[in-house]
Amino acid sequence: MYYRLPQFEYLRPNDLHQALETIREGDWKPLAGGTDLLLDMKNGRQSPKKIIDISRLSELRYVRTNDSRVLIGGGSRLQELLENVIVKEKLPLLSSAIYEMASWQIRNIATIAGNLCNASPAADSAPPLLVHGARVKLISSSGSRTVPLSEFFLGPRKTVLSNNELMGEIDVPLLEGYYYRYYKIGRRHAFTLSVVSMAIAVKIENGIFSDVRIAMGSVAPKPVRALNVEKELIGKEAKTVEITKAIDLVSEDISPISDVRASAEYRMKVTKFLLKESLQESLKYFWK
Amino acid sequence: MSSFDLERLMNKWLNAEEFYVVGKRIERADTLDKALGKAKFIEDYYTNDMLFIKQVTSRYPHARIASIDESEAKKVRGFVANFTARNIPGENQVGYSLPDQPLLAERKVRYVGEPVSLVVARDFEAAIEAANQIKISYEPLPHILDPLEAKSRVDVLIHEEAGSNIAFRTKARKGDVEKGFSESHVVIENVYRTSQQDHVYLETEAAIAIPGLEGKLTILSPSQHPHLTQRIVSRVLGLPASSIRVVVPYLGGGFGGKDDEGPLISAKAALVAYLTGRPAFIEYSREESFAIHPKREATVIRYKSGADTDGRLKAIEVEIVHDTGAYANRGPFILWRATMHASGPYFVPNAKVDGYCIYTNKVYQGSFRGFGNPSVQFAAESQMDLLAEKLGMDPLDIRLKNILTPGSTTITGQVLDTSVGVKEALESVASKAGWRDKWKTYSTYNGRFRKGIGIGVAWHGISTSRGVPDWSAGTVKIEPDGSVSVLVGIVEIGQGSPTSSHRQIVAEVLGAPLDMVHVYFGTTDAPDTGATHASRGTGVGAIGVYVASIELRERLNSFAAKLLNTEPEDVVIHDGIVSSRRDPSKSIGWKEFIKKAYNSGVNTTASGYFFLPKGKFDDEAGQGFAYISYSYMVVISEVEVDTETGIIKVLRVYPAISAGKIINPIQVEGQIEGGFVQGMGLALMEELKFNEKGEIMNRDLTDYVIPTSLDAPEIEKPIFIEDRFKYGPLGAKGVGEMALIPAPASIANAVSHAIGKRVTELALTPEKVLKLLEKG
Ligand SMILES: Cc1cc2nc3c(=O)[nH]c(=O)nc-3n(C[C@H](O)[C@H](O)[C@H](O)COP(=O)(O)OP(=O)(O)OC[C@H]3O[C@@H](n4cnc5c(N)ncnc54)[C@H](O)[C@@H]3O)c2cc1C
Repeated sequence: MYYRLPQFEYLRPNDLHQALETIREGDWKPLAGGTDLLLDMKNGRQSPKKIIDISRLSELRYVRTNDSRVLIGGGSRLQELLENVIVKEKLPLLSSAIYEMASWQIRNIATIAGNLCNASPAADSAPPLLVHGARVKLISSSGSRTVPLSEFFLGPRKTVLSNNELMGEIDVPLLEGYYYRYYKIGRRHAFTLSVVSMAIAVKIENGIFSDVRIAMGSVAPKPVRALNVEKELIGKEAKTVEITKAIDLVSEDISPISDVRASAEYRMKVTKFLLKESLQESLKYFWK
Repeated sequence: MSSFDLERLMNKWLNAEEFYVVGKRIERADTLDKALGKAKFIEDYYTNDMLFIKQVTSRYPHARIASIDESEAKKVRGFVANFTARNIPGENQVGYSLPDQPLLAERKVRYVGEPVSLVVARDFEAAIEAANQIKISYEPLPHILDPLEAKSRVDVLIHEEAGSNIAFRTKARKGDVEKGFSESHVVIENVYRTSQQDHVYLETEAAIAIPGLEGKLTILSPSQHPHLTQRIVSRVLGLPASSIRVVVPYLGGGFGGKDDEGPLISAKAALVAYLTGRPAFIEYSREESFAIHPKREATVIRYKSGADTDGRLKAIEVEIVHDTGAYANRGPFILWRATMHASGPYFVPNAKVDGYCIYTNKVYQGSFRGFGNPSVQFAAESQMDLLAEKLGMDPLDIRLKNILTPGSTTITGQVLDTSVGVKEALESVASKAGWRDKWKTYSTYNGRFRKGIGIGVAWHGISTSRGVPDWSAGTVKIEPDGSVSVLVGIVEIGQGSPTSSHRQIVAEVLGAPLDMVHVYFGTTDAPDTGATHASRGTGVGAIGVYVASIELRERLNSFAAKLLNTEPEDVVIHDGIVSSRRDPSKSIGWKEFIKKAYNSGVNTTASGYFFLPKGKFDDEAGQGFAYISYSYMVVISEVEVDTETGIIKVLRVYPAISAGKIINPIQVEGQIEGGFVQGMGLALMEELKFNEKGEIMNRDLTDYVIPTSLDAPEIEKPIFIEDRFKYGPLGAKGVGEMALIPAPASIANAVSHAIGKRVTELALTPEKVLKLLEKG
């Protein structure tokens, strides 16, 4: 009650079409769950003049699947995704990440597009989606374009999204036969922002790393893939020596900073350890 | 009643063996309202005709106030006034122990966040807007943030009139420490550090002041001591105390923070109501609460201890430095308590303890559950483990060898009487925890995940220290229908003393049915019962209603004797049935009995009062009477440490408490669980971070983290050693702070055991664990 929201114009369109028509012109700021945006407005970090409330657009709330992908409507609530069987069965990394996000109350209003569009380096849904090579569909009244999530983020709170666009859908290609591991290291055991988060998917065929996908949060200006580590490993023998060699390259993939949550040094140390542990475990997983 | 009669009757009840409500797992009176969301907290009483107050606070750690310009603020629609120190009709001086603190900054500011003026507007939006438009110009002064630096510098003075940055000094002396160390076989010396801690009560500070209600200025106040608030408001406004009524509704936690900030926020609301003649409302946002209200002090403790070959303590030499921040507030009392408890609950023949309370340009410190004791028990208990290690002893044995027992002498030369159950508590909880086995087994673990087990033993003096007066008072009134109204100044702050233990004590002593006993709490309409702090809500706070009930019961017994044709000693009143022990066939029901009493001239109201007898302390000699009695607490913690990430999990905790008679086990279990977890926060994750201006960087709940339920360990059912205290109601001592005090010590000892490196600094974040592990 005692934080002042700045004055703004407010509109709640009835359907997606009307929403897209509205934002065609003028500087409209979408409001979904508001669990990032309203906080920013209350503490003065953002003060949009025009708010378009998209939280009730049912067209943006769905999960669909076919053999090769899962399509998630951007307006889906995190709790809905957590309880969704498709997500649970086909996207275990995302499911684990959401399980550790916020609290039940927040997850019931927070949306997945909000998490991505807010573009926090600590956005917890990003690393799993980056591992899957997800693409996001940005829609406007004149059509839509699809952008790989890895190109969607530009930096802290910066994305390629234009004023006249909404994030309509997240298109998540399925991975088959992978070892998965998700980590969230925070300052307590629950309900806390990540100090380091990591999602990893590994495939080993004939004793060779045929695919390695690693993505991390809170260790760079935006959620990132550890491409140098991945490249170093792919095609190599699935052996500890290779893992040890590759892990050090992560310092070229990430650039952690020191802040009130943790020091850069700690983030780097823990990242390397998590890489070592998960890659090591992937060897065991495929060896069985 | 003469004081002789009173002592005789208190003794009779002290030795009572059979109870029908006391000691039982009784549900408290406020449970349902709270569970249903019907219970009202201060904000719930806000109505939109109230003026809204917003504080303008300092942006500088140390500066002279050159001017305050309100011309832009005046243009804001809805703006009513901007009040500064100059508008205060009475005294601006609100320093608790030293006259060093203004309600609103005058001439100088001493920390970032210090309140300078109160902007008043018709609604909160206008208040916030207008507050932003107040332009204060400052002439910055050099500032000091480090207490050790502040202690030695005189070129920068935070309080010029003090002549140094040392706000207060304390000492305790016993025997000859040089001799003690020369007789020691092992000597250990270390420096321990702990960090500031915020109370993070669910409900931030809020107050409503209403002028002219029945001719009085009425304040709905978040105080832990309504009468103290009345006193301070009276001083600030220059009005008689009797024209100010303070009512404390349900509070969403306090932990000491509202003992300090409660009176001040009330004075702010009262000032505005008084000057404008209109009801006024103030509430701190979480960020304001962090920035403004006093914290638990950060400490630096140098501790040297020596023991002989048998592990008997020979001497301790301790220097305690408390960073009190910008104002002394209760710092001198907190330091005093730390100093007197520096030995831990052990017999030490030679002791030299010096304390320094140091000003710095940071948010000031104040009361917080444990009151200076958790940090010094952490140091003392770490030393015990280190001595044991050097001597090749089990940490349990070295403690048992030195533990206080009835008749022991403390480091101030005070001889303890009978209520000293700590040895039994330690022995029984160590056996329940399986200490000896686990201590040996865990020492052999050396994989990635290490386990450790640690003991923390603590003592905590009850009531005020030395000769500082402390009393209890309360009124008990039996209504004509047999229901009982109890009036006390103790507040309901989540702990439940007025809604459980007070009711149980009154019901037990009167013999009335429990559900007929109703407590009016937290109000200056009751006699001054003292504060709801220092674990005294029941142990001291209920003595008044206990004594009143004893007196009423005597009258009821005499009257019943007449009705039943027997002697007063023979009367039994049990759960609303009045009968004769000699002839149980004769009995009468409570309601009828009270009706008869009313019609027969029995006075059914009594006011109870008890002044706790105290002794003298010689400040020069550092010797004398410190506390009337002590509660004791033992916790044994088991932890698991991930040596790769540094993450600590507290797995299981075994508590034991000797706090006299346990009036309500559920409430005590709640206090032990909550207290431990809050202490675990201090041990593992809670710390304020300051930037170079002394501004708190993590002043919200995103970045100031406290434990959640998923961080909480399994806390075993506590062991109760009921070492009854002769002046406590039915022998009760204090519980509220107890589990917090040894929690950091037990966790730090367990982690040290797990990783084989000594923890000397809290908060023990994963980063610090990794750094310790890297140390050779
Ligand atoms: C107590 C608490 C705990 C939290 N814990 C976590 C956590 O553990 N991990 C974590 O990652 N985050 C956490 N968050 C942050 C937040 O809840 C998430 O980022 C959430 O997913 C944001 O979604 P939203 O719908 O509330 O977004 P909003 O606040 O409504 O919007 C966020 C941003 O995205 C934009 N936006 C939203 N939807 C769209 C769309 N469809 N198209 C275009 N732009 C859009 C908005 O304009 C805004 O800029 C927490 C927040 C709180 C308050």
